[in-house]
Amino acid sequence: MSSCGNPATEQDALMTRRQKFDKSKTCVKCKEHQGHIVIRHAVYCKTCFFPLVSTRFRKVLGPTINPARSAAKAANVRGGRLRGRLEAPGSLLIGFSGGLGSTALLDLVAKSYFYRSSSASAPPPEAAEDNSSKGSEHPSNKSREDGESGGVWKGKPAVCYVEVASILPGARDRTEDVRAIVQSYCDPASKFEIDFIPLRLEDAFDKTWWKSVGGSDIDRAAKDLGINISNENLPINTRDSSSTPLESLHTYLSSLPTPTAVHSAISSLIRVLLIYTAASREASHLLLGSTLTSLSVNMISGIAQGAGFAMVSEGVEEVWKTKDQSIRIVRPLRDIGIKESAFWSYWSNLRIVGRERYPTTVSPVPNTGDESVKVASAMIKNQRLTSIDALTQDFIMGLEKDYPSTVSTIARTIAKVTTKEKSVEGGCVVCQRPAQPNVQQWKARISIRSYHDEAFVKSKHPLPPHFTAPPTLDEVEAPSTSPLPISTHELAPRLCYACHTTFTSRSSRGSATTDSVVLPLPEWVKASFHTNTGTSATVIGSDDEAGELQEEHWRKRQVTQSEMKEQIGEFLLDDTGPE
Amino acid sequence: MASNPSAVTLKIEFGGGLELLFSNQRSHKVSLPATVPNDNTTAIPVPENEPTKPADVTYLIHYLRDHLLKERAELFVENGTVRPGILVLINDTDWELEGEGDYVVKDCDEIVFISTLHGG
Repeated sequence: MSSCGNPATEQDALMTRRQKFDKSKTCVKCKEHQGHIVIRHAVYCKTCFFPLVSTRFRKVLGPTINPARSAAKAANVRGGRLRGRLEAPGSLLIGFSGGLGSTALLDLVAKSYFYRSSSASAPPPEAAEDNSSKGSEHPSNKSREDGESGGVWKGKPAVCYVEVASILPGARDRTEDVRAIVQSYCDPASKFEIDFIPLRLEDAFDKTWWKSVGGSDIDRAAKDLGINISNENLPINTRDSSSTPLESLHTYLSSLPTPTAVHSAISSLIRVLLIYTAASREASHLLLGSTLTSLSVNMISGIAQGAGFAMVSEGVEEVWKTKDQSIRIVRPLRDIGIKESAFWSYWSNLRIVGRERYPTTVSPVPNTGDESVKVASAMIKNQRLTSIDALTQDFIMGLEKDYPSTVSTIARTIAKVTTKEKSVEGGCVVCQRPAQPNVQQWKARISIRSYHDEAFVKSKHPLPPHFTAPPTLDEVEAPSTSPLPISTHELAPRLCYACHTTFTSRSSRGSATTDSVVLPLPEWVKASFHTNTGTSATVIGSDDEAGELQEEHWRKRQVTQSEMKEQIGEFLLDDTGPE
Repeated sequence: MASNPSAVTLKIEFGGGLELLFSNQRSHKVSLPATVPNDNTTAIPVPENEPTKPADVTYLIHYLRDHLLKERAELFVENGTVRPGILVLINDTDWELEGEGDYVVKDCDEIVFISTLHGG
């Protein structure tokens, strides 16, 4: 070990280890008991831990329950004392992934707002005291009289779980385990029930599911449509629609250009599946179990992939709106770290189903036999290091271990940032989040789009490893081998930056094939293809007489400077000045 | 005066998915020598004439990796300690309050390892 050379210090003196907690091991809240947990340098005993976490949870969720009445109230969603009765305009849906956050969320919601009597996971006596300190009007006390749900939300609450095992070879289907956990919160004695809605990731491509959630009819001409992702404008092409939802899902994910894109696409599909399920139940609130830690991971990796606009423009209030409905997407654990969720679950004896890490590569076809499982398992082994999300998670976990306060700073900083522009109407058609305008123009301005761009040639940058010589223009712009498109319309203008990047980003290793790839589209994207003009929806053109579709008339192309001057020449002032 | 026991028996528990790495078994009982090599090598019996220390949680982690872990050691151990994202409880208390890896284990201690790596 080398010395710093300072003669005033002892030789070989080691720097004292930084303490993980401030002051003493006594609880900072009650100042009586010995501490059991350190939360960002503060020590809490087990008795004080439960009310601390449930208070933080209610402080985030509480102000969002009643409909926003005025801008002033909306601006103060995180502070202030709630007055009056809590009454949501719709029902409640809880998104459950099986992870620690979801497990803790379900338990907190049940204990704080509904009657809960499951003896299998009874709360410790210290937690029960928390409810009795509230007044008689508190929903949790009221619910004990009614025997129904707390009276805060309309109808029956529900838990929705999206199973992803179908894309993970050898993964265990956890649907029944999750069902058992949800069942444990039901109480036949008081007739309290929570509905369980199991979904599968491939439902995003299943018209049966789409119909079951009351999705709008899909035009006959739109049912066979996909997008060609080898062209960055994402032209809409026809494709073979005889594949099953599972086959479509595998095609969709396996054709994405990068491992990061696969992870991002899975998260996006799950989010939209939950939203439409909530909409079908006339839910006013969709609760997700993202903790402070996972929120920070999602923020950093999202921003790295270009999703910053959606994150920031939504801010703390994330709302999905149609003309008839409005669903608030709330993350009540956003002030609670993953560590606190883990301790809550452990000390409350909650059963944790767990969740698989999303894959970063997916086989093009569903697994049918053992051999494919072995091949795919070998792929999964190397997946940890290959996606932005995996790298970000490793980074944030390391940060939380060594500098826990910095993780909370990430989430708080996002809340302070805003956007200059407003989202386009309707948002992104794939992820259903706010989308910034002029995504493609922005990309054209900031990037080198072709190996023949002047900037690239001048830079003398080495070519990627899969090219031994600069590709000719013919190779780069080879005609598509797919069937002639039935329309010249494109999906790209209706996507946010992040979704467009998901479909079109180029791996530095190059793609396995240069053939055109036509991706199937999720049902909600196909449903957005309308027949009427005058809306912001994509219009599809067809020669099919029975289709009765109208053709789009506008087509964009870049013009040269001389063409521009020709168009506006008569309006230009003479440079020579007045005569 | 009673003599020090030559071994300490510990109850180990895994949660949050970690049990999958340990034969899918949540609870284990392990017996560690009371005195172990300074460099945390886990060969049994402990070699003589080696500098030693009382068995601590760092040694326990190495022992679990070498003797109980069935696969993917990198998911449990990193840089001589548990991987970031794995919580450790010593007798129902956060190990950060007990000195983390330097805590000297005693007979009948209960050590719990919970993975938070797939949260949310």
